[in-house]
Amino acid sequence: MFLQQLINGLAQGSLFALIAISFSLVWGLLKMVNFALGEVYMLGAYAGWLVVMHVTPNLAVALAAGFFAGWAAGWLIEKVAFKAMRGVPHIASLVCTIGFSFFLKEMATWMFGAETKAMPSYYAKTAFTIAEANVSWLQLLMVGIAVTMMILLQVLFYRTRIGLATRAVALDFRTASLMGMKVDKITSLAFSLSGALAGFVGVLAAIYYNAVNPSMGFVAGLKGFTAAVFGGITSIPGAILGGYLLGGLENLSVQFVSSGYRDLVSYIILIIFLLFRPNGILGKKTKL
Amino acid sequence: MRNSLIALIGTVLVAGSGLTARADAPPIHIALTAPITGDYAEYGVNFKRSVEMGIDEINAAGGVLGRKFTLSVGDSKGDPKESATLAQKWVSDSTIFAQIGDFTSTCCMASQPIYNRAGMIQLSPTASHTKFAPGSKWSFSIVGTQAFEQPVMAALATQKLKLKTMAVLYINNDWGMDTQKFFKENFEKDGGKVVATESFFQGDKDFNAVLTKLKQSKPDALFVATMYNDCAMISQQREKMGWNLPVLGPSSLYSTQLVQLGGTSVNGLYTDVSFFTKDPDPRIQAYVNGFKKKYGAEPNFHAALAYDSIHLLADAIQRAGAVDKNKVRDTLAATKGYKALTGNITFTPDRDAIKTYKIVQVVNGDFQLVK
Repeated sequence: MFLQQLINGLAQGSLFALIAISFSLVWGLLKMVNFALGEVYMLGAYAGWLVVMHVTPNLAVALAAGFFAGWAAGWLIEKVAFKAMRGVPHIASLVCTIGFSFFLKEMATWMFGAETKAMPSYYAKTAFTIAEANVSWLQLLMVGIAVTMMILLQVLFYRTRIGLATRAVALDFRTASLMGMKVDKITSLAFSLSGALAGFVGVLAAIYYNAVNPSMGFVAGLKGFTAAVFGGITSIPGAILGGYLLGGLENLSVQFVSSGYRDLVSYIILIIFLLFRPNGILGKKTKL
Repeated sequence: MRNSLIALIGTVLVAGSGLTARADAPPIHIALTAPITGDYAEYGVNFKRSVEMGIDEINAAGGVLGRKFTLSVGDSKGDPKESATLAQKWVSDSTIFAQIGDFTSTCCMASQPIYNRAGMIQLSPTASHTKFAPGSKWSFSIVGTQAFEQPVMAALATQKLKLKTMAVLYINNDWGMDTQKFFKENFEKDGGKVVATESFFQGDKDFNAVLTKLKQSKPDALFVATMYNDCAMISQQREKMGWNLPVLGPSSLYSTQLVQLGGTSVNGLYTDVSFFTKDPDPRIQAYVNGFKKKYGAEPNFHAALAYDSIHLLADAIQRAGAVDKNKVRDTLAATKGYKALTGNITFTPDRDAIKTYKIVQVVNGDFQLVK
């Protein structure tokens, strides 16, 4: 049963990890948090749901719809909350992203209604069983996607010219701009990519839990952000690690303590950990 | 178009003739408090529909004591503060005779002192908290509390289904705690044993961990004290785990939405209801069909309770023989065996209704009565 809880934790951790990467992308560039990411995730889930219900039951198309809906939302949030507010104190952008999170949630309630919508299952069959613990194809797929995304983004940032430019902008955007790099374009790209990732995970979560509703983003965003800080918010492999550790901790604390204390136990461990290692698991020391 | 025009003219004529007949009698003004917007909008909108439908019927039949009914609706948004503000508004309006609402127990209890001070009837269709109705002599609840409902589920589990051990999963709020407490008490009194109890918080979507833990206690069945949407998710995840066993739960699970969200995973689930849309009773069929025709949707349990509330109030005024707050309150409190759509209503000395429950089961994606 310990093994089954570990597998549950891995699947849930994959979702946390992917949202954590979305947070890391924006933090890495602007040292800012986009608090509307949870709602972008919800929006992606609705985009996927619309496709499955009205266009085609093809999972790849639904995931792509979530990806592009998230891309559009991320792009818009950057234009309003960051580009238009450059030069004013950072806190204004932060509050603006909180505004976006309410706006997107109310918009979804108005468009789709407050009630929960059903999402069909995909790949729910058991792939294999080890020591009485069942692993479904979808759980395998989720772990596979999380690891693939991490590798793709690492390659993008460390092996391509655009990645080099992004890292330069993250390091010092004034100098990068003086060196002729298109700072605006790169910032916009990173935000859109972060949103697209959140939208994509939204569709995965909708399939895993078979449900979509307007308030699904709040807890997901909170847990994803926590996982990002846990792993060291500047590092993408760290975000993945943070996601899996948080998922594992939560599920094991249900097993060994009680479901009523699941958040209590996992967050106490998190706080103690951060007291000793404030930069997270893989985070580098940075001056804030 | 032409039909609706004729209907409109007809309505105007009927309303007009009523007015000319009793031009001197002012209408009886009723206030409705319900969450028309916000998280509970689904329920609040049904409250409004049912009460409006009830008032139309009462007025079409000539009103009560020769007086028609008129309605004011206030939106509490499911927020206790809003509910209390509306209560202030209603009691300061001298034309308002009685109030129906609110939806949640919390909202009802927040506005209770205001109605109590003003001496206005506060008739809640749905507040099931054991502490609500006893709190003021002006408060009435017709849904039936968990203390009355859970013995029925416990009896079903031990006597009909012959279950010995049970795992319980409940939502961690006032209502969920009350429900699981009364179920456990009664189930163990009847000789069963609750072998594991776990809870979750509002907003949780991942039940794999709690279900895995509950499964280890190897219970005969699972009792799920949640609203229907959480239960649908729990059932889906349980089915995917390959854990098949009988599932039971309180009347909050009775909704066509449960089947839409839960699919095959909720097949075989048992719950208890005091209102069933497929009940052959002609009065229930008339209500269900009238509601469907008027609003294009099937009424649920909560909608039927709101419909019963307005008719019960009209009946009490008729029996009291005068539109007098004190007289009607006393008559309402003395209600015995009133034939409501949601089962007969007889108030306890604490003004809670004891209901009779029917057991229903999901069979091939459809609720069916269990004999």
